[in-house]
Amino acid sequence: MSTEVTSCEPRAVPKLSAIPVSRRFHALLFVALAVGLCALPAVVSGYTMTLAVEIMIAGIFTSGINLLTGYTGLVSLGQAMFLGLGGYGIAIGTALLGWPLWVSAPVTLVVVAAIAAAIGAICTRTRGVEFLLITLAFSQMFYGAVVKLRWTNGSDGMTGIPRPDLSLLGVSADSPATFYYYVLAVSVLALLLLWRIVNSPFGSILVGIRENERRMMSMGYAVANYKIGSFTLAAMVCAVAGILQAQYTYFVSPDTMSWQTSGEGVLMVIIGGASVIFGPFVGAAVFVVVKQALSLITDEYNLFFGIFFMLVVAFFRGGVLGALSTLIGRRR
Amino acid sequence: MSALEIRNLRKAFGGLQVISDLDLRVPSGARHAVIGPNGAGKTTLFNIITGWQRPTSGEILIQGIPVQQGRPDLVTRGGLSRSFQKNMLLESVTVLENLRVACQAFHASRHSVFRPCRSFSDVVRKAHDAAEQMHLDNVLHRNVNALSYGQKRQLEVAIALCAEPKILLMDEPAAGTSPDERANLIKLINGLSSELTILLVEHDMDVVFAICDVITVLSYGKVLATGTRAEIQSNPQVIEAYLGQHHA
Repeated sequence: MSTEVTSCEPRAVPKLSAIPVSRRFHALLFVALAVGLCALPAVVSGYTMTLAVEIMIAGIFTSGINLLTGYTGLVSLGQAMFLGLGGYGIAIGTALLGWPLWVSAPVTLVVVAAIAAAIGAICTRTRGVEFLLITLAFSQMFYGAVVKLRWTNGSDGMTGIPRPDLSLLGVSADSPATFYYYVLAVSVLALLLLWRIVNSPFGSILVGIRENERRMMSMGYAVANYKIGSFTLAAMVCAVAGILQAQYTYFVSPDTMSWQTSGEGVLMVIIGGASVIFGPFVGAAVFVVVKQALSLITDEYNLFFGIFFMLVVAFFRGGVLGALSTLIGRRR
Repeated sequence: MSALEIRNLRKAFGGLQVISDLDLRVPSGARHAVIGPNGAGKTTLFNIITGWQRPTSGEILIQGIPVQQGRPDLVTRGGLSRSFQKNMLLESVTVLENLRVACQAFHASRHSVFRPCRSFSDVVRKAHDAAEQMHLDNVLHRNVNALSYGQKRQLEVAIALCAEPKILLMDEPAAGTSPDERANLIKLINGLSSELTILLVEHDMDVVFAICDVITVLSYGKVLATGTRAEIQSNPQVIEAYLGQHHA
């Protein structure tokens, strides 16, 4: 029997001409994107930078949804609950309890993980529409709680959430450019972590569950545990976005937890391309830019955005990234 | 000790008794077929053995250890693996990835969250070996949904073998295959290790006779007869209930 496994052998560094065109194209695209993102504050207006920050935060939030929906095949309408819990967690830690940010942020993530594991243990016993509805129900429950609770300041929300203290680096995170770089750094870190996760054995199990849950059980996997793991990790990613969102606006309100926010996240995943690591960021960029552009033209931008979304679903199979990849494939 | 032992198994769906007082012993290394007309309870029996359905009463032992009902993953970990009557594959990924994920289930790497899959070269190597065993090495990088039906049936068996089971349950492995594909599948199954215990459900009697030494005939959830090919073929009750004159 053959024991030679080419894909796992150490690879020699190839000459540039030996690298396939697609890989060179991707590398070039990646370098251009990195340079562009780093140089952005120097070349664009404050408004554009604000949009870029919003896109990155939405991209992280959507990446959490994508882990659950795109990779594990569990469509949730409750992920805004964790976006909100991230925001409220940091607000309670810093503004209410007076803890420093470097304590509040990890404590928030641990608490969110514990809550998500408990909720996940219940929700992942269902699938399909039942899963969607039970996540929505939990989300609405937390929404109701933050509206009613006095110490979360009810529907007025909580203010006074600090940005990180970067005085050691000689900069202030209150400056738009510095905050942009801070969000960019967190986005890159989140993407790298997610990229490692989806390419790991754990990630391949999630894809297997999406493809055929019964087969995975029959292979010997305790599927329920992996689904809870995916639910928890996705919640933590959404909570990171929630922390950034609260720092960006210095504020968190119950609206963050609304079902519309969860729905928009799912839309971004579909627009960008599910189960593609960059899909959520592309989806977030298209969503934010198109919505902004439409709102400048008409007050009824939601109507036109709905039409735009239908066109994407009807004609862009696999979202924008899926359509791009098909187009590039055809040109070759 | 028997590889698989079933004692006083009963299964009822409401008032409908699907399996009643079924006893079955499959010795280690045996090639044992379960046959019977539609509705005899064959697939229900398989589903109970593999933990997908709970019996109303009775006991199932794999290598002398009782099966934990309702946990198919633990049954597989206990040494019993199965292929399905209808293909249950990871359709939009490659053949290699199907086999790699199957092999990974029994490797410590299944808990790894940050290391890339390909860094576990022993798992990938095992997947390559499983593909070679079932003659799928020429379609390793093809997506499953681009395979022929016969290749999908081979992959079903290959995935079940990745668990390195002591007992392999095959639910109609040749269903829907062409005569050439069927002949190929029989050859591949007969080429498996003689230490592997095989329990087969199959309607195609040519496949049963080509693979199995012992045959159990089920009828209305009860064992009608158990014996060798010759004993079964000459049993008047079996001929009347299932075989007819063609295979007698």
